[in-house]
Amino acid sequence: MIRYPADGSILSIESLDVAPGERLIVFGPNGAGKSTMLRILAGVLPGGPAPAAAYLPQKPHLFKGSTRWNLGLGLDPEQTTRAAFLAATMGVDHLFGQPASHLSGGEIHRIALARVLARPETLVLLDEPLAPIDVSSRRDLARVVLEAISDRSAIIVTHDIEEAVALGTHMAVLIGGRIRQRDEIGSVLSHPGDADVAAAIGVGNLIEGIARVSGGVTRLEGRIEIVGSGLVVDGSSGRAVFGAEAVTLFATPLADSGSARNHWTGAITGIRSSGRMLEVTVDCGVEIVALVTPGSADGLGLAVGSQVGVAVKAASVKIL
Amino acid sequence: MGFLFDVLRDAFRAIIEFDPELRRVLGLSLTVSGVATAIGVGIGVPVGVALALGRFRMRRVLRILVDVGMGMPPVLAGLLLLILFWRAGPLGGLGLAFTPAAMVVAQVLLAIPIAAGVTAGAVSGLPDAALEQLAALRLSRWKTGVIAVSEARSGVLASVAASFGRVVSEVGAVLIVGGNILGETRVLTTLIVQESRQGHFGLAVAAGILLLVISLVVNVAIGGLEPQWRR
Repeated sequence: MIRYPADGSILSIESLDVAPGERLIVFGPNGAGKSTMLRILAGVLPGGPAPAAAYLPQKPHLFKGSTRWNLGLGLDPEQTTRAAFLAATMGVDHLFGQPASHLSGGEIHRIALARVLARPETLVLLDEPLAPIDVSSRRDLARVVLEAISDRSAIIVTHDIEEAVALGTHMAVLIGGRIRQRDEIGSVLSHPGDADVAAAIGVGNLIEGIARVSGGVTRLEGRIEIVGSGLVVDGSSGRAVFGAEAVTLFATPLADSGSARNHWTGAITGIRSSGRMLEVTVDCGVEIVALVTPGSADGLGLAVGSQVGVAVKAASVKIL
Repeated sequence: MGFLFDVLRDAFRAIIEFDPELRRVLGLSLTVSGVATAIGVGIGVPVGVALALGRFRMRRVLRILVDVGMGMPPVLAGLLLLILFWRAGPLGGLGLAFTPAAMVVAQVLLAIPIAAGVTAGAVSGLPDAALEQLAALRLSRWKTGVIAVSEARSGVLASVAASFGRVVSEVGAVLIVGGNILGETRVLTTLIVQESRQGHFGLAVAAGILLLVISLVVNVAIGGLEPQWRR
C-alpha cells in the first residue's frame, strides 16, 4: 500500500507486484505521481514500503570530489570495479580523474547510472533513465541498462513511449495517482483500457514486424507495411505504434496512389463508444483502431461490415 | 576632543606595551573561547546535521531546544551554571565555580545551539537533488553526515565562525560563573566592564580593539578555508 500524503490525495496504490525478471514501466503524464511513487519505494519519502533497491533519481547528483570517488560511493571494491566497467561501456571512463563539478549533465547522468547498475540489490528503480541522454546514444545506453539488469526486477518511470518500449516488459499506467491499467507492454499499447489511458499513452495501435531502414526512411514489414520514424536497426524486429486519433477513415476505399504512404482498405469489425468519441476497429490484415466523432461516423455512414479506407500520416508513426 | 584623544592614546599605548596582565587576559579569552568553540562545534554540527537529515521521534523537541538555545541570554546561562556549581549546589563538589573550566562549560552551552542551528540551516538548504541523492545512496549515518557537511561546507564554516563570535564576545556568562578575578578568570570582555566602570577607558578600548582584531583574524582564516573560485 502506497499513500502520499497520508490521505492518499496525490498517490494511492493498493499494491505493485513485480515478478523476478520483470521490468515494469510506470507510465503517465507529468504530475501523475510517478516520481513520488518511486521516491517512496526508494525510501526517500515516507508513505509506503521501501524494499532494498538500487535507485536512480530523476536528477542524479554528484558530490564535491573526484568523479572516481563519486562512482564508488556506497559500493564495495568489487561493485566499484563493475561500475567502472559499466561507465567505460557508456564512454565516460576518461572522466574518472576529473572533479565531479566539471562534468556535464549527460556525463553526470551516465556516472550515476553506472553506480546504480553496479549495486547488488535485486530490485532496480530508475526515474527516466534515458531522458537526459542525447538521441544518438540512447539505443546503446538502453542496451547497457538491459544487460546490467537482465537477471533482476526493475520499476522504471517514464513519460516517453520510446523509452518505455526500449526498456520495459510490462507497463502500469498511472493517472492522477492511481494505476489505471497494468499488463504486458504490448497489450497496454494495443489495447488501452479506457479513453484516459489511450490519451495518456497516445497509442491505440501497435503493429509488429521487421524494421527496414533505407535512404532515411524507416519502414516496418509485417502483415502490412507501414512507414514511420524511430531509432531501430535495419533488419531487427520492431513495433510500430501510433494513436487511434492519428488514424483517418474514408467512406470509399483509397486508390493506391496519393501522398499518404500509409493507407489501406478493410472492413469494419467493431464500433464502440469511448468517452465522447467512437472507437472504430478496421481489419486491414491487422486490426487498426481509429477514434472518430459520432458526427463524422454518421457522415461517413460507418457500420460494422462496411468497407472503408484507412490512412495514417507517417509523421504520427513511431517505429521502436 | 582632548578627552577622546587621550583615550585613544592610552589604548594604543596599552596595546604597544602589551603588559603581562593584558597578555594573560587575551590568552585566557582565546583559550576559553577556542576550547568552548571546539567542543560546541564538535557537538553542535552533528546535532545540526541530524536535525536537517534525520527522521527520529525527538526531532521536534530537539529543534525547539536549539531555537531556544540560540536566543538564550548568556547571563541566564551563567546564572543557571553558577547555581549548579555553587558550593552547596548539586555539582558543588566539583569545585568549578569561578574557574576557567566553568567559563568553558558556560560558553559550550552557548555555542552548541548556534553551531547546530546554523549547520541545520546550511544542510537543509542544499539543493533538493543533492539531498535526494544522499538518501538514495543508503550510506551509513556517519558517511551520510560527512558528505552532507562537505557539501554544505561554507554554511558549516559559518556556523563555526558564528559560534566563536558569540562566545568570545559575550560577557554575561563568563562574568557570573568566572567572577572576573584578576589573573584567574578575567577575559577581554569582563576587563572592559571592569575598567570602564573605574573610568580607565584607555585599557577598556584596548581590549575592545583586541576583540575586533580576533574577530577579523578568525573570519579571514575561516574564509580562507574555502577559496571563492572553487565554488
